[in-house]
Amino acid sequence: MKKFWKSGDPFVWLTGGALAISLLMIAALMALILYNGLRQFWPYDLTELHLKDGNKVLGEIWDRERIPETDTDSKQAQYRIRVKIGNRDLYSLDFRWVDESEIERRFEPEHALVLERSEWGNFYGYFKKLTFDGTTIADSFAEGWPELQRRLDDMAALHNDIHSLEKGAIDEINSGLEKLRLQLRKLTMGSDTTDVALALEIAQQRAEMQSLRVRYDAREAELSSLYRQSERGVLTMTAIDGREKDIKVFDIVRAFRPNDIDFWGRSAVCAGKIWEFVSGEPRESNTEGGVFPALFGTVILVVMMSIAVVPLGVLAAIYLREYAKQGFWVQAIRIAVNNLAGVPSIVYGVFGLGFFIYAVGGTIDQFFFSEALPTPTFGTGGLLWASLTLALLTVPVVIVATEEGLAAVPREIREGSLALSATKFETLWRVVIPSALPGILTGLILAIARAAGEVAPLMLTGVVKLAPALPLDGTFPFLHLERKFMHLGFHIYDVGFQSPNVEAAIPMVYSTTLLLIIIVVLLNVFAIQIRNRLRKKLAFSVF
Amino acid sequence: MTTETEIAGRLKPGKRYDSESAIRKRRRQLFDRLARWVVAAGGFTIIASILAIMVFIAVEIAPLFRSAQVTQISRFGQDKLSQEPAEIVALGVEENQDVGYVVAATGEVTFFNLEGASPREVVQIAGLQGESITTSWHSVRGQRLVLGTGAGNAVVVRVSMPSTYFEGVRTYRPAVIPELRLTIDDRGQPISKLAFSGSADERMAIAAITRDDRVIVYLRRTEESLFGDALVDSLVATLEPIWSGRPTAIAIDGSANNIYLGTDDGKIYHWRASFENGPEFVTVARNSNNAEGITALTFLIGGRTLVSGDAGGGVAAWFLVRDNTATTGWRLTHIRDLKSHPAAVSTLSPSARGKGFISADAVGNLYLQHSTSERFLTEFHSAQNAIAKVSFTPKANGALALDADGFLAHFAVDNPHPEAGLNAFFGKVWYEGYDKPDYVWQSTGGTDEFEPKLSLVPLIFGSFKGTLYALILAIPLAIFGALFTSQFMHPALRNKIKPTVEIMAALPSVVLGFLGGLWLAPRIEQVVPALLTMAVVLPLLVLAAALTWHGVPKRLKNRLKPGVESLLLAPIVAVGIWLCLEMNGVVEGVLFNGDFKIWLYEAVGLRFDQRNALVVGIAMGFAVIPIIYTISEDALSNVPRNLISGSLALGATRWQTALRVVLPTAAAGIFSAIMIGLGRAVGETMIVLMATGNTPIMDWSIFNGFRTLSANIAVEIPEAPEGGTLYRVLFLAAMLLFVVTFIVNTGAEIVRQRLRTRYQKL
Repeated sequence: MKKFWKSGDPFVWLTGGALAISLLMIAALMALILYNGLRQFWPYDLTELHLKDGNKVLGEIWDRERIPETDTDSKQAQYRIRVKIGNRDLYSLDFRWVDESEIERRFEPEHALVLERSEWGNFYGYFKKLTFDGTTIADSFAEGWPELQRRLDDMAALHNDIHSLEKGAIDEINSGLEKLRLQLRKLTMGSDTTDVALALEIAQQRAEMQSLRVRYDAREAELSSLYRQSERGVLTMTAIDGREKDIKVFDIVRAFRPNDIDFWGRSAVCAGKIWEFVSGEPRESNTEGGVFPALFGTVILVVMMSIAVVPLGVLAAIYLREYAKQGFWVQAIRIAVNNLAGVPSIVYGVFGLGFFIYAVGGTIDQFFFSEALPTPTFGTGGLLWASLTLALLTVPVVIVATEEGLAAVPREIREGSLALSATKFETLWRVVIPSALPGILTGLILAIARAAGEVAPLMLTGVVKLAPALPLDGTFPFLHLERKFMHLGFHIYDVGFQSPNVEAAIPMVYSTTLLLIIIVVLLNVFAIQIRNRLRKKLAFSVF
Repeated sequence: MTTETEIAGRLKPGKRYDSESAIRKRRRQLFDRLARWVVAAGGFTIIASILAIMVFIAVEIAPLFRSAQVTQISRFGQDKLSQEPAEIVALGVEENQDVGYVVAATGEVTFFNLEGASPREVVQIAGLQGESITTSWHSVRGQRLVLGTGAGNAVVVRVSMPSTYFEGVRTYRPAVIPELRLTIDDRGQPISKLAFSGSADERMAIAAITRDDRVIVYLRRTEESLFGDALVDSLVATLEPIWSGRPTAIAIDGSANNIYLGTDDGKIYHWRASFENGPEFVTVARNSNNAEGITALTFLIGGRTLVSGDAGGGVAAWFLVRDNTATTGWRLTHIRDLKSHPAAVSTLSPSARGKGFISADAVGNLYLQHSTSERFLTEFHSAQNAIAKVSFTPKANGALALDADGFLAHFAVDNPHPEAGLNAFFGKVWYEGYDKPDYVWQSTGGTDEFEPKLSLVPLIFGSFKGTLYALILAIPLAIFGALFTSQFMHPALRNKIKPTVEIMAALPSVVLGFLGGLWLAPRIEQVVPALLTMAVVLPLLVLAAALTWHGVPKRLKNRLKPGVESLLLAPIVAVGIWLCLEMNGVVEGVLFNGDFKIWLYEAVGLRFDQRNALVVGIAMGFAVIPIIYTISEDALSNVPRNLISGSLALGATRWQTALRVVLPTAAAGIFSAIMIGLGRAVGETMIVLMATGNTPIMDWSIFNGFRTLSANIAVEIPEAPEGGTLYRVLFLAAMLLFVVTFIVNTGAEIVRQRLRTRYQKL
């Protein structure tokens, strides 16, 4: 025993324990996110519970936990289960707890239906009847189910029509009208009212606006006729407590019978849900549906940031490493730039708000968009300012990585190039930079990984919980730099902490978290791979 | 160059020698020089602009500490306004500073254009009934005017100067609207000083000093009867003359309940007036400034802070502070002295924007001061003689002063941030309604009368509290983990473990904040006792595992790579954690009487917040561990091999070598790792924003929340108007974060570079 203590091994093991705990923490975190992020997509069985007090509950069993001893008298462990009961319009709650001791009977009814709706969340219940234009076309499950499937397909087509009308023609007319309104305001603003040519131009613009309005009315009528069609099919469902509920077939996103499909059927439903999550629009104030706009916003933000950060960072690094006279000052600047990477991101957000938005954006508005004032165009948060702020935040990363890359290029190669009478710039351009490219790339990827996860500076520079339009679309100039955007990270914060029904929103937040982590971790793994390969390839490197 | 071209010229035409290449060479060299210039200029600009972030932030902060600017716009004699100048008893300006008015003792109100000092309308106040005006009082925003007459009456009027704006021209329709005429003194003595509070149509109080030094209180309330008629109830009382000197100044607070009387022997008497009991004497307070006689009293906006001026030039702020020994439970307390005048204070005028005021003295000095921030903002002058009256404009951006010679001076006041100042940000400040000076952050309130509390100290405290708890968790785990990885682990294994931990560094903080706030916080609440047991059980478990391993035959051990221990430990630790969680109820029952939170409150007196420092410590630990781990692992594994070999060769065990040789050699690197981790934790925003309650309290308890500088910026800047005080204060907070992290990181970097050179020498 004494020998055991003297060998020092216990302490070695304790340090090993510290590492084990750290690794365990990572593993637990990842497992937690993976499990919670994916489970909401899986169609679980619908369980019907008959309680001792005569009530019935239908829903997905979500959790099981021990009731704290203080709440019960008995010494024996008591458990309770958390059931997702859905039907928010009837019960106003999405989840309820049921004590296991209260349950008399539990089983999985074969015909229980799950309806995912565009409003009010899921509906769990039984088929009652299907009506079309007020006439019942099916009142038994056997004939109603295939009929419902058919109607759902019709409605999906109708959804598409409405969407393309709203987002296409009507949006185009609206943006045309807005542009004309601003032009008109510019013309009338501070101008001489007696100018004939001007009056003519104004009249012309007014006429154009009028014609646009006529077109708008026509489209609007078309749209309302489509909406009338959507009212036709109605599905009547019976909830577990016997209440009946009419649901428009149009409002049903997806209908399935979880207890009656096999593993592959479930997988198909699950895949459909995941696809909807990644590619769909959010519903119910972001707590359901998809995160496509946020995903798109994250990606385009990162792309814009990369476009800004690479030239800046690389130029600065080349200057520092290749052109500046090495000495105390350059070394000091190098340390300073290095340390800017450690400055809190919120500080960059504050700078972005004060400098980009108020100082630069406000000035741009004054000179180029004065007709829209006091509504700011660039004088408020937007994609451009957010991406520039992020570029500033990540430029030290790119500078440091590029410098490392440049430093790793051996002297002999440069001297060889110079000896062949290449100029310094040619050596740099043809020889040094290509060899340093992996370093630059690593810097960029690290910058992207950092930027993709940053939220705090975005909150000050243009991220919103729900953007009316994507920053990239079909109307000129296609990329709308002044638009506000959505972001996965902010989505997590907003849905998890600002939404009115946090309990119902949490599964969505986990899935968003998973998506964000997948993006960030993949980028990092990629960067680390490149760096390792680079290190091996350039074994003479200094680091 | 030239020679080359000449040579090229002498060569045979049509034959390609080096002529083309000579031109090309020149072009190339030109291009090279151009590139050098572009890169240097571009690179320098980029680096300079990155570093200019700090400059920009500093520029945004600077106005907070700048003094106010006051410029005299015009000065003119009273005779410009009227042919037969009478004594001016009141004056005022409307909010755009276009029109002003003066009230003469005869009851004539002259409205005039401030530009050019030309009279506009002259209005006679109705309800004076030929009595002359002897004194006046006007409300902070300058609309209500209460006039005391030579026959002991008071007339309440409203001076209204509504404007309409049409096609760039502003038109005013000034008017004087009579509201009330009240008999104050039934003996008919002239009123020499007067104070008013409340409103004419609800509840109001007037207190007056008569020429024969009696003090009369008039209370009035209006209630609506069941039939909709107004029922007016009033009470007039003459105060018992308990004061020692002569009464010189009088004021009533915003609630219309408390009356304060200043005397020429330097005392302030406090009465409480109610309909039920009439005026009741409460306390008397002494002027701290050598018991100089009080010459002026006024309430700042909000009606809680009383400002006094005295014959010795002293200016002080007072308000009621809770005190159980006083009869009403409140005592008038001297809060602070402001900048003293060289001569007796003649008049005080409160600002309608915040707790600032102008004080004026008998030799023509006007001081612009602020009570909360204790700032003397600037001084300005009209003439060398006494200032009789000052009126602060409704937007607090101008002032009109009347001196003893009957000259009026109009000043423009540029005073954007009077409530700022080093003392307001970092000192203890005694706020209205507080028992003692304190550090408080509460930037916005519901009304204009709110006193902003801008102490950054609770936020700095919060930043350091969060950092501390994160580091307490992270430092041992990260450094021991790094020690193990670098010293006792096979390189093949190490190359897998290290990137895994590094990836953890890239986890977005919003994710950690979300999990901390919504997953961890409600669970931690249940299992605090289990966490405490873990701290004991896990090390014991690890030692037990080590002992078991000790007994395992060498042959088996040698087949495994060194460092597998920690992987073997992972399931053991996991089982240990699970056991602790399972035993939570038992431990809680045995040690904490069944409920930890109640026990905590009863035995230690601590409250338990769900989102507390413990949760933040764990969540932020995730962010900090990988940083400290990676950097200290680098430092530890770069310790020259020969040192370690030497130590082992001398017979030291691997633990002795690690502890005595490796750790001291790499100490500087580990220190810099901790510094960089600290830098990250101090500025972390999303985790603390989501995982704490964001209450700016100062309390070291691990079970309470806090608010950090960074979270505060995120919470408040969306509501801070650009250029406002709050906006700039948040920039100051950002600057603090910048400076702290920059210094910490630079220190760490320098240490690291020293270390690198030292390793090269070893």
